[in-house]
Amino acid sequence: MSVLRPLDKLPSLNTATILLVGIEDALLQQLADSMLKEDCASELKVHLAKSLPLPSSVNRPRIDLIVFVINLHSKYSLQNTEESLRHVDASFFLGKVCFLATGAGRESHCSIHRHTVVKLAHTYQSPLLYCDLEVEAFRATMAQRLVRMLQVCAGHVPGVSALNLLSLLRSSEGPSLEDM
Amino acid sequence: MEEQPQKQAADQPADSGGEGGEGGPSQVAGAQEARSEDRMTLLLRLRAQTKQQLLEYKSILDASEEKTPEQIIQEKQIEAKIEDLENEIEEAKIAFEIKQLAIDRIRLSSALKKNLEKISTESSVLMDNMKHLLKLNKLVMKSQQESWDLEEKLLDIRKKRLQLKQASESKLLEIQTEKNKQKIDLDGMENSERIKIIRQNLQMEIKITTVIQHVFQNLILGSKVNWAEDPALKETVLQLEKNVDMI
Repeated sequence: MSVLRPLDKLPSLNTATILLVGIEDALLQQLADSMLKEDCASELKVHLAKSLPLPSSVNRPRIDLIVFVINLHSKYSLQNTEESLRHVDASFFLGKVCFLATGAGRESHCSIHRHTVVKLAHTYQSPLLYCDLEVEAFRATMAQRLVRMLQVCAGHVPGVSALNLLSLLRSSEGPSLEDM
Repeated sequence: MEEQPQKQAADQPADSGGEGGEGGPSQVAGAQEARSEDRMTLLLRLRAQTKQQLLEYKSILDASEEKTPEQIIQEKQIEAKIEDLENEIEEAKIAFEIKQLAIDRIRLSSALKKNLEKISTESSVLMDNMKHLLKLNKLVMKSQQESWDLEEKLLDIRKKRLQLKQASESKLLEIQTEKNKQKIDLDGMENSERIKIIRQNLQMEIKITTVIQHVFQNLILGSKVNWAEDPALKETVLQLEKNVDMI
Protein backbone atom coordinates (compact mmCIF):
# COMPACT_ATOMS: atom_id res chain seq x y z
CA MET A 1 0.00 0.00 0.00
CA SER A 2 1.48 3.25 -0.97
CA VAL A 3 -0.83 5.51 1.01
CA LEU A 4 -1.36 5.32 4.75
CA ARG A 5 -4.98 5.31 5.72
CA PRO A 6 -6.06 5.79 9.29
CA LEU A 7 -8.97 3.43 9.49
CA ASP A 8 -8.36 0.58 7.11
CA LYS A 9 -7.60 -1.83 9.94
CA LEU A 10 -9.47 -2.61 13.10
CA PRO A 11 -7.82 -1.48 16.31
CA SER A 12 -6.26 -4.12 18.50
CA LEU A 13 -7.44 -4.28 22.07
CA ASN A 14 -5.71 -1.96 24.53
CA THR A 15 -2.95 -1.15 22.05
CA ALA A 16 -1.87 2.21 20.73
CA THR A 17 0.64 2.55 17.89
CA ILE A 18 2.69 5.59 17.01
CA LEU A 19 4.81 6.07 13.92
CA LEU A 20 7.85 8.34 14.11
CA VAL A 21 9.14 9.53 10.74
CA GLY A 22 12.49 11.25 10.56
CA ILE A 23 15.91 10.90 9.04
CA GLU A 24 17.95 10.76 12.23
CA ASP A 25 17.79 7.24 13.63
CA ALA A 26 19.56 8.00 16.89
CA LEU A 27 17.13 10.75 17.87
CA LEU A 28 14.11 8.66 16.97
CA GLN A 29 15.47 5.73 18.91
CA GLN A 30 16.03 7.87 21.99
CA LEU A 31 12.57 9.37 21.76
CA ALA A 32 11.07 5.91 21.36
CA ASP A 33 12.92 4.69 24.45
CA SER A 34 11.70 7.67 26.50
CA MET A 35 8.16 7.03 25.38
CA LEU A 36 8.29 3.36 26.31
CA LYS A 37 9.54 4.28 29.76
CA GLU A 38 6.41 6.33 30.38
CA ASP A 39 3.63 5.02 32.58
CA CYS A 40 0.71 4.15 30.40
CA ALA A 41 -2.31 2.01 31.04
CA SER A 42 -2.45 0.72 27.50
CA GLU A 43 0.13 -1.14 25.53
CA LEU A 44 2.39 1.10 23.48
CA LYS A 45 3.93 0.23 20.16
CA VAL A 46 6.45 2.52 18.53
CA HIS A 47 7.36 2.23 14.86
CA LEU A 48 10.30 4.10 13.42
CA ALA A 49 10.67 4.97 9.77
CA LYS A 50 13.06 7.03 7.73
CA SER A 51 10.46 7.97 5.15
CA LEU A 52 7.15 6.94 3.72
CA PRO A 53 5.92 4.91 1.89
CA LEU A 54 6.31 2.00 4.24
CA PRO A 55 7.00 -1.39 2.70
CA SER A 56 3.83 -3.41 2.51
CA SER A 57 5.52 -6.67 3.30
CA VAL A 58 5.43 -6.16 7.05
CA ASN A 59 2.23 -6.89 8.93
CA ARG A 60 1.65 -3.92 11.15
CA PRO A 61 -1.25 -2.80 13.31
CA ARG A 62 -3.38 0.25 12.74
CA ILE A 63 -1.35 3.40 13.16
CA ASP A 64 -2.94 5.91 15.52
CA LEU A 65 -0.56 8.86 15.40
CA ILE A 66 2.15 9.90 12.96
CA VAL A 67 4.85 12.26 14.18
CA PHE A 68 7.07 13.86 11.57
CA VAL A 69 10.36 14.83 13.17
CA ILE A 70 11.95 17.77 11.36
CA ASN A 71 15.50 18.71 12.28
CA LEU A 72 15.87 22.45 11.87
CA HIS A 73 19.59 22.01 11.18
CA SER A 74 19.20 20.14 7.89
CA LYS A 75 17.20 21.05 4.83
CA TYR A 76 17.18 17.40 3.78
CA SER A 77 15.01 16.61 6.78
CA LEU A 78 12.37 19.06 5.62
CA GLN A 79 12.55 17.73 2.08
CA ASN A 80 12.17 14.17 3.30
CA THR A 81 9.15 15.13 5.38
CA GLU A 82 7.47 16.89 2.48
CA GLU A 83 7.96 13.88 0.24
CA SER A 84 6.64 11.52 2.89
CA LEU A 85 3.58 13.69 3.44
CA ARG A 86 2.43 12.80 -0.04
CA HIS A 87 1.95 9.20 1.00
CA VAL A 88 -0.41 9.99 3.83
CA ASP A 89 -4.13 9.91 3.27
CA ALA A 90 -6.04 13.14 3.79
CA SER A 91 -8.22 11.73 6.56
CA PHE A 92 -5.12 11.27 8.67
CA PHE A 93 -4.81 14.99 9.09
CA LEU A 94 -7.90 15.17 11.27
CA GLY A 95 -5.80 15.17 14.39
CA LYS A 96 -3.68 12.09 13.86
CA VAL A 97 -0.63 13.85 12.46
CA CYS A 98 1.78 15.98 14.42
CA PHE A 99 4.95 17.84 13.49
CA LEU A 100 7.90 17.94 15.84
CA ALA A 101 10.65 20.47 15.20
CA THR A 102 13.93 19.75 16.92
CA GLY A 103 17.15 21.66 17.13
CA ALA A 104 15.67 25.09 17.65
CA GLY A 105 17.90 25.59 20.68
CA ARG A 106 21.07 26.19 18.71
CA GLU A 107 20.04 29.16 16.62
CA SER A 108 23.34 29.41 14.77
CA HIS A 109 23.07 25.91 13.31
CA CYS A 110 19.52 26.30 12.05
CA SER A 111 19.31 26.32 8.31
CA ILE A 112 15.52 26.15 8.16
CA HIS A 113 13.69 29.24 9.27
CA ARG A 114 11.09 28.75 11.95
CA HIS A 115 8.43 30.27 9.73
CA THR A 116 8.85 27.51 7.16
CA VAL A 117 7.77 24.81 9.57
CA VAL A 118 5.03 27.04 10.96
CA LYS A 119 3.67 27.48 7.46
CA LEU A 120 3.94 23.75 6.80
CA ALA A 121 2.00 22.92 9.94
CA HIS A 122 -0.56 25.57 9.09
CA THR A 123 -1.04 24.19 5.59
CA TYR A 124 -1.68 20.72 6.93
CA GLN A 125 -3.80 22.03 9.83
CA SER A 126 -1.77 19.97 12.28
CA PRO A 127 -0.15 20.91 15.57
CA LEU A 128 3.51 21.82 15.65
CA LEU A 129 5.58 21.00 18.71
CA TYR A 130 9.06 22.21 19.47
CA CYS A 131 11.54 20.12 21.39
CA ASP A 132 15.30 19.77 21.61
CA LEU A 133 15.47 16.02 21.38
CA GLU A 134 19.10 15.95 22.38
CA VAL A 135 18.43 17.21 25.90
CA GLU A 136 17.28 14.45 28.22
CA ALA A 137 14.79 16.46 30.28
CA PHE A 138 13.02 17.99 27.27
CA ARG A 139 12.88 14.62 25.62
CA ALA A 140 11.20 13.05 28.64
CA THR A 141 8.60 15.83 28.77
CA MET A 142 7.92 15.55 25.07
CA ALA A 143 7.63 11.77 25.40
CA GLN A 144 5.00 12.25 28.10
CA ARG A 145 3.10 14.67 25.91
CA LEU A 146 3.25 12.34 22.93
CA VAL A 147 2.03 9.42 25.00
CA ARG A 148 -1.01 11.42 26.09
CA MET A 149 -1.70 12.53 22.54
CA LEU A 150 -1.36 8.95 21.37
CA GLN A 151 -3.85 7.74 23.94
CA VAL A 152 -6.36 10.33 22.77
CA CYS A 153 -5.81 9.51 19.11
CA ALA A 154 -6.20 5.78 19.73
CA GLY A 155 -9.53 6.39 21.42
CA HIS A 156 -8.39 5.27 24.86
CA VAL A 157 -9.53 8.42 26.59
CA PRO A 158 -13.31 8.52 26.86
CA GLY A 159 -14.88 11.78 25.85
CA VAL A 160 -11.92 13.18 23.91
CA SER A 161 -11.38 12.39 20.25
CA ALA A 162 -8.46 13.23 18.01
CA LEU A 163 -10.41 15.98 16.29
CA ASN A 164 -11.38 17.45 19.64
CA LEU A 165 -7.77 17.52 20.69
CA LEU A 166 -6.82 19.13 17.40
CA SER A 167 -9.17 22.02 17.91
CA LEU A 168 -7.86 22.42 21.43
CA LEU A 169 -4.26 22.50 20.26
CA ARG A 170 -4.93 24.99 17.54
CA SER A 171 -2.66 27.93 18.16
CA SER A 172 -4.09 31.38 17.72
CA GLU A 173 -1.23 32.64 15.60
CA GLY A 174 -0.78 31.40 12.09
CA PRO A 175 2.22 32.35 9.97
CA SER A 176 2.54 36.12 10.02
CA LEU A 177 1.26 38.15 7.12
CA GLU A 178 4.61 39.14 5.68
CA ASP A 179 5.54 35.52 5.10
CA MET A 180 2.35 34.45 3.38
CA MET B 1 12.85 1.61 5.20
CA GLU B 2 11.23 0.46 8.36
CA GLU B 3 12.90 -0.78 11.51
CA GLN B 4 11.66 -3.52 13.77
CA PRO B 5 8.81 -2.47 16.02
CA GLN B 6 9.33 -2.57 19.74
CA LYS B 7 6.79 -3.85 22.15
CA GLN B 8 6.30 -3.26 25.77
CA ALA B 9 3.37 -4.31 27.87
CA ALA B 10 3.06 -1.65 30.55
CA ASP B 11 -0.21 -2.61 32.12
CA GLN B 12 -0.47 -0.73 35.35
CA PRO B 13 -2.45 -2.48 38.02
CA ALA B 14 -5.04 -0.04 39.12
CA ASP B 15 -5.48 -1.43 42.56
CA SER B 16 -2.57 -3.16 44.19
CA GLY B 17 -3.48 -2.30 47.72
CA GLY B 18 -4.96 -5.64 48.49
CA GLU B 19 -1.69 -7.48 48.39
CA GLY B 20 0.14 -5.46 50.97
CA GLY B 21 -1.10 -5.76 54.49
CA GLU B 22 -3.28 -8.85 54.79
CA GLY B 23 -2.63 -11.49 57.42
CA GLY B 24 -1.41 -15.04 56.68
CA PRO B 25 -4.40 -17.15 55.69
CA SER B 26 -6.27 -14.39 54.08
CA GLN B 27 -3.30 -13.34 51.97
CA VAL B 28 -4.09 -15.76 49.17
CA ALA B 29 -7.72 -14.73 49.15
CA GLY B 30 -6.64 -11.10 49.22
CA ALA B 31 -4.36 -11.60 46.21
CA GLN B 32 -7.13 -13.30 44.28
CA GLU B 33 -9.48 -10.48 45.13
CA ALA B 34 -6.96 -7.91 43.96
CA ARG B 35 -6.53 -9.78 40.69
CA SER B 36 -10.24 -9.94 40.07
CA GLU B 37 -10.46 -6.24 40.85
CA ASP B 38 -7.67 -5.63 38.36
CA ARG B 39 -9.57 -7.66 35.81
CA MET B 40 -12.71 -5.67 36.54
CA THR B 41 -10.90 -2.37 36.06
CA LEU B 42 -9.26 -3.69 32.94
CA LEU B 43 -12.58 -4.79 31.55
CA LEU B 44 -14.18 -1.47 32.36
CA ARG B 45 -11.32 0.38 30.77
CA LEU B 46 -11.52 -1.77 27.67
CA ARG B 47 -15.23 -1.13 27.53
CA ALA B 48 -14.67 2.64 27.62
CA GLN B 49 -12.01 2.31 24.92
CA THR B 50 -14.18 0.26 22.64
CA LYS B 51 -17.05 2.68 23.10
CA GLN B 52 -14.86 5.62 22.15
CA GLN B 53 -13.44 3.86 19.13
CA LEU B 54 -16.90 2.84 17.99
CA LEU B 55 -17.99 6.45 18.32
CA GLU B 56 -15.08 7.57 16.18
CA TYR B 57 -15.84 5.06 13.44
CA LYS B 58 -19.50 6.02 13.47
CA SER B 59 -18.69 9.70 13.13
CA ILE B 60 -16.36 8.98 10.21
CA LEU B 61 -19.12 6.99 8.54
CA ASP B 62 -21.53 9.88 9.00
CA ALA B 63 -18.99 12.31 7.65
CA SER B 64 -18.27 10.24 4.57
CA GLU B 65 -21.94 10.01 3.71
CA GLU B 66 -21.96 13.74 3.01
CA LYS B 67 -21.75 14.61 -0.63
CA THR B 68 -18.41 16.07 -1.58
CA PRO B 69 -18.65 18.92 -4.09
CA GLU B 70 -17.41 17.94 -7.52
CA GLN B 71 -16.30 21.25 -8.88
CA ILE B 72 -12.90 22.64 -8.08
CA ILE B 73 -13.14 25.28 -5.42
CA GLN B 74 -10.55 28.00 -4.99
CA GLU B 75 -8.08 27.60 -2.21
CA LYS B 76 -9.20 30.82 -0.53
CA GLN B 77 -12.76 29.62 -0.47
CA ILE B 78 -11.68 26.32 1.01
CA GLU B 79 -9.80 28.13 3.74
CA ALA B 80 -12.82 30.31 4.44
CA LYS B 81 -15.00 27.21 4.61
CA ILE B 82 -12.58 25.54 6.97
CA GLU B 83 -12.70 28.57 9.25
CA ASP B 84 -16.48 28.54 9.22
CA LEU B 85 -16.58 24.88 10.10
CA GLU B 86 -14.08 25.40 12.89
CA ASN B 87 -16.22 28.20 14.28
CA GLU B 88 -19.19 25.86 14.17
CA ILE B 89 -17.26 23.27 16.12
CA GLU B 90 -16.27 25.84 18.74
CA GLU B 91 -19.84 27.06 19.07
CA ALA B 92 -21.11 23.51 19.46
CA LYS B 93 -18.52 22.90 22.17
CA ILE B 94 -19.44 26.08 24.01
CA ALA B 95 -23.13 25.26 23.83
CA PHE B 96 -22.41 21.81 25.22
CA GLU B 97 -20.37 23.24 28.07
CA ILE B 98 -23.11 25.70 28.94
CA LYS B 99 -25.73 22.98 28.94
CA GLN B 100 -23.49 20.83 31.12
CA LEU B 101 -23.12 23.74 33.52
CA ALA B 102 -26.86 24.27 33.61
CA ILE B 103 -27.46 20.59 34.33
CA ASP B 104 -24.92 20.64 37.14
CA ARG B 105 -26.57 23.68 38.65
CA ILE B 106 -29.97 22.02 38.50
CA ARG B 107 -28.55 18.94 40.19
CA LEU B 108 -26.94 21.03 42.88
CA SER B 109 -30.10 22.97 43.60
CA SER B 110 -32.19 19.81 43.78
CA ALA B 111 -29.70 18.22 46.20
CA LEU B 112 -29.82 21.36 48.29
CA LYS B 113 -33.58 21.27 48.34
CA LYS B 114 -33.58 17.68 49.49
CA ASN B 115 -31.15 18.32 52.33
CA LEU B 116 -32.53 21.64 53.41
CA GLU B 117 -34.81 20.28 56.12
CA LYS B 118 -31.91 18.33 57.62
CA ILE B 119 -29.69 21.38 57.91
CA SER B 120 -30.01 23.54 61.02
CA THR B 121 -30.07 27.18 60.12
CA GLU B 122 -27.73 28.22 62.92
CA SER B 123 -24.47 26.50 62.35
CA SER B 124 -23.43 24.53 59.34
CA VAL B 125 -20.81 24.77 56.72
CA LEU B 126 -23.44 25.51 54.11
CA MET B 127 -24.79 28.53 55.96
CA ASP B 128 -21.27 29.80 56.53
CA ASN B 129 -20.55 29.49 52.86
CA MET B 130 -23.72 31.32 51.95
CA LYS B 131 -22.97 34.14 54.37
CA HIS B 132 -19.46 34.42 53.02
CA LEU B 133 -20.86 34.50 49.50
CA LEU B 134 -23.25 37.30 50.42
CA LYS B 135 -20.44 39.30 52.00
CA LEU B 136 -18.26 38.90 48.95
CA ASN B 137 -21.09 39.87 46.65
CA LYS B 138 -21.69 43.05 48.66
CA LEU B 139 -17.99 43.88 48.47
CA VAL B 140 -17.97 43.28 44.75
CA MET B 141 -20.94 45.54 44.23
CA LYS B 142 -19.42 48.26 46.39
CA SER B 143 -16.11 48.23 44.57
CA GLN B 144 -17.90 48.21 41.24
CA GLN B 145 -19.84 51.29 42.32
CA GLU B 146 -16.62 52.98 43.45
CA SER B 147 -14.87 52.25 40.21
CA TRP B 148 -17.88 53.56 38.30
CA ASP B 149 -17.76 56.82 40.28
CA LEU B 150 -14.06 57.22 39.65
CA GLU B 151 -14.60 56.70 35.97
CA GLU B 152 -17.29 59.37 35.99
CA LYS B 153 -14.89 61.81 37.64
CA LEU B 154 -12.22 60.96 35.14
CA LEU B 155 -14.65 61.59 32.33
CA ASP B 156 -15.61 65.00 33.77
CA ILE B 157 -12.00 66.03 34.12
CA ARG B 158 -11.32 64.97 30.56
CA LYS B 159 -14.26 67.02 29.33
CA LYS B 160 -12.99 70.09 31.18
CA ARG B 161 -9.55 69.57 29.74
CA LEU B 162 -11.00 69.40 26.28
CA GLN B 163 -12.93 72.62 26.83
CA LEU B 164 -9.84 74.41 28.10
CA LYS B 165 -7.90 73.24 25.10
CA GLN B 166 -10.56 74.53 22.76
CA ALA B 167 -10.67 77.91 24.52
CA SER B 168 -6.88 78.27 24.32
CA GLU B 169 -7.02 77.31 20.67
CA SER B 170 -9.51 80.04 19.87
CA LYS B 171 -7.48 82.61 21.84
CA LEU B 172 -4.31 81.73 19.96
CA LEU B 173 -6.22 82.03 16.72
CA GLU B 174 -7.31 85.53 17.70
CA ILE B 175 -3.76 86.53 18.55
CA GLN B 176 -2.58 85.27 15.22
CA THR B 177 -5.20 87.21 13.28
CA GLU B 178 -4.34 90.36 15.20
CA LYS B 179 -0.66 89.96 14.42
CA ASN B 180 -1.42 89.39 10.76
CA LYS B 181 -3.52 92.52 10.68
CA GLN B 182 -0.72 94.51 12.26
CA LYS B 183 1.77 93.24 9.74
CA ILE B 184 -0.50 94.14 6.85
CA ASP B 185 -0.98 97.62 8.24
CA LEU B 186 2.74 98.07 8.62
CA ASP B 187 3.40 96.92 5.09
CA GLY B 188 0.72 99.25 3.86
CA MET B 189 2.22 102.14 5.66
CA GLU B 190 5.61 101.54 4.11
CA ASN B 191 4.40 102.29 0.67
CA SER B 192 2.30 105.35 1.53
CA GLU B 193 3.01 108.70 -0.04
CA ARG B 194 3.55 110.64 3.15
CA ILE B 195 6.53 108.55 4.12
CA LYS B 196 8.13 109.17 0.77
CA ILE B 197 7.79 112.94 1.12
CA ILE B 198 9.14 112.81 4.66
CA ARG B 199 12.07 110.72 3.50
CA GLN B 200 12.89 113.19 0.74
CA ASN B 201 12.80 116.10 3.18
CA LEU B 202 15.08 114.19 5.49
CA GLN B 203 17.60 113.55 2.72
CA MET B 204 17.56 117.23 1.83
CA GLU B 205 18.19 118.30 5.41
CA ILE B 206 21.03 115.79 5.74
CA LYS B 207 22.72 117.20 2.64
CA ILE B 208 22.38 120.76 3.89
CA THR B 209 23.85 119.80 7.25
CA THR B 210 26.79 118.04 5.57
CA VAL B 211 27.51 121.08 3.43
CA ILE B 212 27.41 123.39 6.47
CA GLN B 213 29.76 121.11 8.35
CA HIS B 214 32.23 121.06 5.49
CA VAL B 215 32.12 124.86 5.30
CA PHE B 216 32.92 125.13 9.00
CA GLN B 217 35.77 122.65 8.71
CA ASN B 218 37.34 124.43 5.81
CA LEU B 219 36.99 127.77 7.59
CA ILE B 220 38.86 126.42 10.59
CA LEU B 221 41.53 124.74 8.47
CA GLY B 222 41.89 127.80 6.29
CA SER B 223 42.40 130.16 9.23
CA LYS B 224 45.48 128.21 10.26
CA VAL B 225 44.40 128.08 13.88
CA ASN B 226 45.79 125.34 16.09
CA TRP B 227 42.50 123.46 16.34
CA ALA B 228 44.00 120.50 18.17
CA GLU B 229 44.26 122.47 21.42
CA ASP B 230 40.69 123.75 21.65
CA PRO B 231 38.22 120.90 22.26
CA ALA B 232 35.27 122.67 20.59
CA LEU B 233 37.27 123.32 17.37
CA LYS B 234 38.65 119.75 17.49
CA GLU B 235 35.18 118.36 17.64
CA THR B 236 34.01 120.43 14.67
CA VAL B 237 36.91 119.32 12.47
CA LEU B 238 36.69 115.67 13.40
CA GLN B 239 33.00 115.51 12.70
CA LEU B 240 34.00 114.54 9.20
CA GLU B 241 34.43 111.07 10.57
CA LYS B 242 30.79 110.88 11.53
CA ASN B 243 28.86 110.16 8.42
CA VAL B 244 25.59 111.95 8.90
CA ASP B 245 23.91 109.91 6.26
CA MET B 246 23.92 106.93 8.49
CA ILE B 247 21.09 107.90 10.75
